[in-house]
Formats: sequence, structure tokens, C-alpha cells
Amino acid sequence: MNQEICRLRKEELAFFAEIGAGVSHEMRNILAIIGQNAGLLDDPLALARRGKLRDPEKLKQVAARIARQVDKGIEAMERFSRFAHAADERRASVDVAALVENVTALARRHVRYDGGSLETELPDEPLPVTTNPFSLQHALFTSIQMVRQCTEKGAALTVKMANKGTAAVLVVSAAAASGNDRLSRRLDELSVVTDELEGSVETSSADGVLSLILTLPIRSV
Amino acid sequence: MEPLRILIVDDEEELVSTLGERLALRGFQIESATSGEDALRLVGKNDFNVLIVDVKMPGIDGLELTASVKHDKPELPVILLTGHGSVGEAERGMRVGAFEYVMKPIDIDALIEKILNAAARKEGRLS
Repeated sequence: MNQEICRLRKEELAFFAEIGAGVSHEMRNILAIIGQNAGLLDDPLALARRGKLRDPEKLKQVAARIARQVDKGIEAMERFSRFAHAADERRASVDVAALVENVTALARRHVRYDGGSLETELPDEPLPVTTNPFSLQHALFTSIQMVRQCTEKGAALTVKMANKGTAAVLVVSAAAASGNDRLSRRLDELSVVTDELEGSVETSSADGVLSLILTLPIRSV
Repeated sequence: MEPLRILIVDDEEELVSTLGERLALRGFQIESATSGEDALRLVGKNDFNVLIVDVKMPGIDGLELTASVKHDKPELPVILLTGHGSVGEAERGMRVGAFEYVMKPIDIDALIEKILNAAARKEGRLS
């Protein structure tokens, strides 16, 4: 049992680091763009001080670009903050739809680097579930990575969620002619996390679509 | 004297356009690409003095692009753009033939110095 807990903690740390590295990469690009735009303001401002500013519209454009990047930065930090605060309590009531939206947004950059895409199909209604929020994020991110790694580079991934009354079902899928055997062999990588969630995981392959299905019991507070 | 022709390659479109604008204001002739694939096409059709390439890009990344460019046009210098988390990759880039690397956020004066050094190396004016 101790070995299982040790393995879970190690995997959680690696997962946290991977998400953190992705967000820091995004923030660095945002700051780099803001830095270049701030530099672009130098020349027209020097002209303005000498009363020779020819194109005030240019200043507005640069200011708008900076504002756009600041908005992107705020959104990235809010996503990361929601992600990190999921570790505050090992059991809490969470809206699974909102959590899926946040995790997929964080995972999208990783998928994009393989030339792939990641979309969600979520119900409009919130779905509150009492669970371990951090483990749920971990399970979903790992599922996305596993499907990505078991399908062709550049695959279009979809995360769907359904309320089945006593269970929330999350399905990560992609078009793939093969890969079900590889995916099935890797299910053990998720078992320690799904045990923590008291849920289950299985794979399916039909009509050229490979899926990884996570089932979580719904326990409202 | 002809302006130096620079190709900037980064998947962040806004970074490419603002950095390009700043370098253009300083007299460089700028072309840009937002993927390694587009960059290879432009390198094949044009004669650039220096390439500025982001290490992390979807598809053909900065290291693959550098290796490919050095194979086809070994004399063309490549300056890599990187962040603290990717310094190891930038150092690998140096091993596949990159001339230098610059950290993001970019200090424009430091970048220009490296561009001029790289162009001088290409022209054989710098050993």
C-alpha cells in the first residue's frame, strides 16, 4: 500500500511540474510580446516629446496589443490558479464540467505541439461531484496524454462528458485505425489514480474511433 | 549597403510581428514564418543573412529546423530563441550547428549584436 501511495505522489508531482512548465512557457511568450511592444513605444514617444509624432494611431495599436497580451496572461494565471488550488482539499465538491474545461485548456498547448487539436463537448448544466479534485485533474490529463500517444501524431482529440445519474462519464477519444492494444496495456498507469477516485477506467475501439472512458461515482454533498 | 535579410520563425504570430517591426525600424529587412514548415519553404526560395528561430514550435521544432537548414545551407547562421526551461534544448541546438541563442523576453540590443556577429561570420569577416 505504501508503495502505491509513493507512486501516486511521485506521479502527482510530475504532473504538477508538467502543467507548471507549460504555463510558464506561455507566460514567457506573453511577457516577450509585451516587452517588444513596450520597445515599439519608445520611438514614437521620443518623437512625441519633440512634437513630431506623425502617427498617433500607431500608439493606440501598440497599446491594444499590450492590453490583449495582459488579458491572455490573466487568463493563463487564472487557469493555473484553479488548477493549483484543486490540491487544497483531498475531498471537495467540484463541478466536473468546469474542471474538464480548465484541464483541457491547460492540456491544449501540449497537444498542439504534436500538431494535434483538443476540443470538448460538455453539457450546459454543471455537474457537481464530491471527489478528490486534484486526482480528477491528474486522471483526465493522463488520459489525454495516453490517447495522444496511442494515436497518430496530429490527431484530433475530443473530451466528452455525460451525466449517467449515479456516475459522471468522461470519454477521451480520437480517430485511430489501431492503438487499442497499446492503450489497454497502459491502463495500469491510471489505476492508482482511479483507485483514489473510487472510479474505473476502460478502453473502447469502434468505427475507427479509439476511446478511453473514465467513470466516476456521483456523490453530491 | 544592402540591408541584412532576416527570417524570424516563431509560432507566436504577435511576437514575430512586433519583433519584426522593431528590427525593421533599425534597418533590417524582415520576413517571417509561424511554422518550421513555412520557414523551410522560405529558406529554399530566398537568400537570408540570418535566421532567428524559436526552439519550441508545433510540427518541425527549432532544433529540427536548425539541423535541416544546416544540412542544406551550412553557411546560413541560426540564432535560437529560448526560455530558461529550454536552455538544454538550445544547447543541443548549438551542437547541431546554431550560431547562438537568446533568452526570452528578448533584449533587442543583445539580439542585434548577435545578428551582426552572425552576419559577419557568414561573410567571413569574423572567425
